[in-house]
Amino acid sequence: MASRDVVAYRSPLTTALHVAAGLFVAVYLAWTILPIFIMFVSSFKDLLEAFKLPAVGDWGGVLVFFDFTPTAKHYFNLFGQLNFATYFRNSLAAALGSAVVSVVLGSMCAYALSRIDFRGKKDLFFWIISTRMAPVVAVMVPLYAIFRNLELVGTLPGLILAYTTFNLPFAIWILKGFFDNVPYAIEEAQMCDGATRLQAFRSILPLVAPGIGAFLVLCVLFAWNDFLFASIIGSGGAKTLPVATRELVQPQNIQWGSIMAAGVVTTLPMMLLGLLIRRYLVTGLTMGAVRE
Amino acid sequence: MASVRIANVWKYYGKTVAVKDLNIDCPDGQFLSVLGPSGCGKSSTLRMLAGLEHISAGDIYFGERRVNDLPPKARDIAMVFENYALYPHKTVFENIANPLRLRGTDGATIERKVRAAAKMLEIEHLLDRKPVELSGGQKQRTAIGRAIVREPQLFLFDEPIAHLDAKLRAHMRGELKLMQRRLGTTMIYVTHDQLEAMSMADRIAVMHEGVLQQFGTPQEIYNQPVNEWVAGFVGEPPMNFLDVEVVDEDGRLCLVHPGFRVAVTAAQQALLRQRLSGREARMGIRPDEVRIATATFPGALEARVRVSEPLGGDMLVDAELAGSRLLVKTRPDFTGGMGAPCWVAFDVERWHLFEKPSGVAYF
Repeated sequence: MASRDVVAYRSPLTTALHVAAGLFVAVYLAWTILPIFIMFVSSFKDLLEAFKLPAVGDWGGVLVFFDFTPTAKHYFNLFGQLNFATYFRNSLAAALGSAVVSVVLGSMCAYALSRIDFRGKKDLFFWIISTRMAPVVAVMVPLYAIFRNLELVGTLPGLILAYTTFNLPFAIWILKGFFDNVPYAIEEAQMCDGATRLQAFRSILPLVAPGIGAFLVLCVLFAWNDFLFASIIGSGGAKTLPVATRELVQPQNIQWGSIMAAGVVTTLPMMLLGLLIRRYLVTGLTMGAVRE
Repeated sequence: MASVRIANVWKYYGKTVAVKDLNIDCPDGQFLSVLGPSGCGKSSTLRMLAGLEHISAGDIYFGERRVNDLPPKARDIAMVFENYALYPHKTVFENIANPLRLRGTDGATIERKVRAAAKMLEIEHLLDRKPVELSGGQKQRTAIGRAIVREPQLFLFDEPIAHLDAKLRAHMRGELKLMQRRLGTTMIYVTHDQLEAMSMADRIAVMHEGVLQQFGTPQEIYNQPVNEWVAGFVGEPPMNFLDVEVVDEDGRLCLVHPGFRVAVTAAQQALLRQRLSGREARMGIRPDEVRIATATFPGALEARVRVSEPLGGDMLVDAELAGSRLLVKTRPDFTGGMGAPCWVAFDVERWHLFEKPSGVAYF
């Protein structure tokens, strides 16, 4: 097989482009990483130290940024006085709960859509994805009214249900592609081997595992980072991290230190998740589309 | 073990008819081959037997039991698929063990049975591998292993060796036949390759366009094809067909062609007298039932060699007889070159005559 390397021909133009690309990457990295870095460092600073700023034009003064005594008092404040452990648990429960419910229901629905032909299948399929087309804000008011009547407002099940309404169509669409790529003969062989339809369905789940894995992550990310649903449906009994963080901004007192610490607490688990399943996620998202 | 009876079975896909009023009886322990070109309904038939396909009309019985409404799980069958359908995430051992695991067989028995099957199929050394690491022949053996460990009452094979290379296919033909004889399990084997059907089966059901054309032993199918289509489909190289006229000459029936005028035998004449429907007919004769020589001999007809193809043990001569093509299989020492004259004669005991245009055989 021919090599897939891109052949590079050197010319003044390509050299200039190389330099430009390097510059762009450097600026882009500063743009994306610096805020996270400042957040991380500031969460360990006392408020006074956090606001020590050098004079304009004094580049040597940048070092002031690193001139501080590390303190974990913001974290103690979060978990000691501000109940962040509960909010963390709420966030986790809402994210994982909706992810699991969406995967269980979504994989069954996707399987059916992939395997069985019935009248109106295309319309049904389109309707499913069309539920994602309306912006969240547009459905928020009616959804709130419904949830209030069902006494789901401010409860974790309510929040899980709200996330599931948005994740499920997505799950069905992603997973259907994966099921389509599994040869039907494998299930037929299973059924001839003595499996029921349900057992045959379960037996091919390992083959769509990359899809399920990828979807789980997207689903968790959506719920974890969500603010709108959490602040309206979850407010009260099911407060999650983003909402709790928002509440640290009070008219009289913006608790910068705690906000920075809350940011770290919110960001770290997702970064870890990303690192853990990075490879999985990439193969998962491409496998559905690319057939090799 | 079970006999299989297919009674008046129809299969529709929407408005397309795949199988038309099929009737087949397969006695217990027989090797039945369903032969036909692609799209003839043979795979649909097999899938209806397996329970993977709804039966549009008619009944299928295993022994005395009507199985129409039983799911595959309850039919006690084992199927080998054309593309093997192995479970890609499982090892060869687990693939073969799968039907036993589904039944809840205990671990020790599974181990014993899988090893025994693997030994029989000579894949013991591959048990820890995954399907992607196997060659075509090994995958196919694994698929067969998965079928035999469960000791079903019926084997269903859907073109299992179609994708193997020619040498391995020839080897597997013998192996599969031997395996079926040894296990004594009823086997229904779908193939488009007449050589596979002829060499392995006790009985062959020839299908074409959803209709069962002929059902009989390989010898019956080969020697007494019921119509022109079966005669042309079975046999390699294929049978020659020539347009002829049936002429009565002083009470003796002759087949007349621009290149010859030959009387039929007394037995053939008796058959023709009963049924002859018109003057026009199609004469069929197999390439190895034509005698060919470079010099004339009594009763010979003059022809011309178009091209000759030495096949090693045989020689295939493509000749022209008064404007009609005639394939002749002869000995490799035939010397007639391109365009050379040659002399041919038909083995009149062995030729066939088909009604025109229906194609139904007179004899």
